[in-house]
Amino acid sequence: MKRDEFTSLNSVSINVREGEVFGLIGPNGAGKTTLIKILCTLITPTSGRAYVNGYDVIKESSDVRRSIGFVTTDERSFYWRLTGRQNLEFFAALHNIRGNEARERIGELLRSMDLSERADELFMGYSAGMKQRLAIARGLLNEPSVLFMDEPTRSLDPGAARSLRELIKSYIVNEQGKTVFLSSHNLDEVEDLCQRIAIFDRGKVRATGTVNGLKEGLGSEATLCDVFSSFTGKQFSDEIAFIKPRIERSHRHGGFGRRG
Amino acid sequence: MIFMISPDLSFRKAGSFIKRSYLLQMSYKLEFFLRLFFAFFNILTYYFVAKLIGTSAAPYLKPYGGDYFSFVLIGIAFSTYLMVSLRSFSESIRDEQMMGTLEAMLVTPTDTTAVITLSALWSFIVASLRVFLYLLIGIFLGAKIANINVIGAGILLVLTVICFGSIGILSASFIMIFKRGDPINMLFMSTSELFGGVFFPVELFPGALQGISHLLPMTYSLNGMRHALLQGYSLGGLAPDILALIIFSLILLPLSLLIFRYAVVRVKEEGTLVQY
Repeated sequence: MKRDEFTSLNSVSINVREGEVFGLIGPNGAGKTTLIKILCTLITPTSGRAYVNGYDVIKESSDVRRSIGFVTTDERSFYWRLTGRQNLEFFAALHNIRGNEARERIGELLRSMDLSERADELFMGYSAGMKQRLAIARGLLNEPSVLFMDEPTRSLDPGAARSLRELIKSYIVNEQGKTVFLSSHNLDEVEDLCQRIAIFDRGKVRATGTVNGLKEGLGSEATLCDVFSSFTGKQFSDEIAFIKPRIERSHRHGGFGRRG
Repeated sequence: MIFMISPDLSFRKAGSFIKRSYLLQMSYKLEFFLRLFFAFFNILTYYFVAKLIGTSAAPYLKPYGGDYFSFVLIGIAFSTYLMVSLRSFSESIRDEQMMGTLEAMLVTPTDTTAVITLSALWSFIVASLRVFLYLLIGIFLGAKIANINVIGAGILLVLTVICFGSIGILSASFIMIFKRGDPINMLFMSTSELFGGVFFPVELFPGALQGISHLLPMTYSLNGMRHALLQGYSLGGLAPDILALIIFSLILLPLSLLIFRYAVVRVKEEGTLVQY
């Protein structure tokens, strides 16, 4: 039997500075999630090297995991029949945080995420916004230097997404000073949060730079949407349509793309 | 076995896994208690089969005390560990994959082997509870478990769990790579009850088939357990079975961990770790 193989990332070279919020934008299937999973040691690259906090993701994978947090948009990544607090206690144990230290850390994170009052309710009763805030609390359990966030506002309504962005800015970036590496389909979010970005398409980095720097390269009136189009040859609105199947599905030919 | 695999495995971490599994299990209380309750009917079936057989099988059962019900009770009770081992490791991978929690666990410093091994721990606790219940019900129904070598039975139990657990880890390695169609599970599930002496003594087999029995750890586990629990053999008397299980453990445990690590490396390269 021959295994199906394809190259999902090719010649990717990115440097992220300590303390910055770095954004990855690109269409579905561009390789964004694959890159994040490689950096989180969930996937091993077949060639090349990647370092997180100076640790090699292949040779020093446990050091990498000790120093990072991962916030996934998948709300299934929690135990639905446990409470928010019980979920955090379990994941704290996986980070080797126990006893009083765990209790204090969890208490503080629940307060910061505005979840204290609902912490002892079952996760299955949480709203989408609460679930995502709990995912952030889990990502911060081990006080990581780098926080990876894969489309953190994907499943949220505009209001909840705005609140979460505020939380990311005020708590994670300003108060905690974390380095944040996030992927997003939302250009407003990227402009709002990120100092620098990389535009991804078909497994390759098409451009990197500051949001303003990339826009200025195209003229004073250029938007991030124009930047995206100029480097990928695609309209960003078409790509966004890909992630709104209920609204636009009938206008598409084919299926939904793989998450990037 | 659980605590020898990796320095990453501490009793406290094991406690966290047990607490999580307990809380999840207790959120489905009815299922949990129904399973335990219906274990009673399984034993009752063999109680009446034993009544039917009466003393006709006594010559074959003489090395085990002569009573069929006691013989089959030990067989059913301790073969539970093999069934649990074959299922629990692969099911724990599959359950975490399906629930979507595997990725979140594997991005922590707790390594993959620890996550899978500790996730299966609760199944072994429930299996032990079920074995205890089987024995209790059996004694109530007249099984002749009186002259027990506790230390011998304890040693045999630990070695049994190591051997069967190793086979379970081997099975999980296949599940990790191929997702379905695990030959280890199929092989041991289909042969162990027949050739391992769960329902009848392996001495009933013709010579060539007895050879197959001697290749299975189940044979030594059940033989030793019967001698320890039904006849109170001394450690010296149990030595051949204990030695055989030690040899199986020394081969199976490192082999299963090696293959499991290979499976983890491979699925991480293929990017299929969380696919099912």
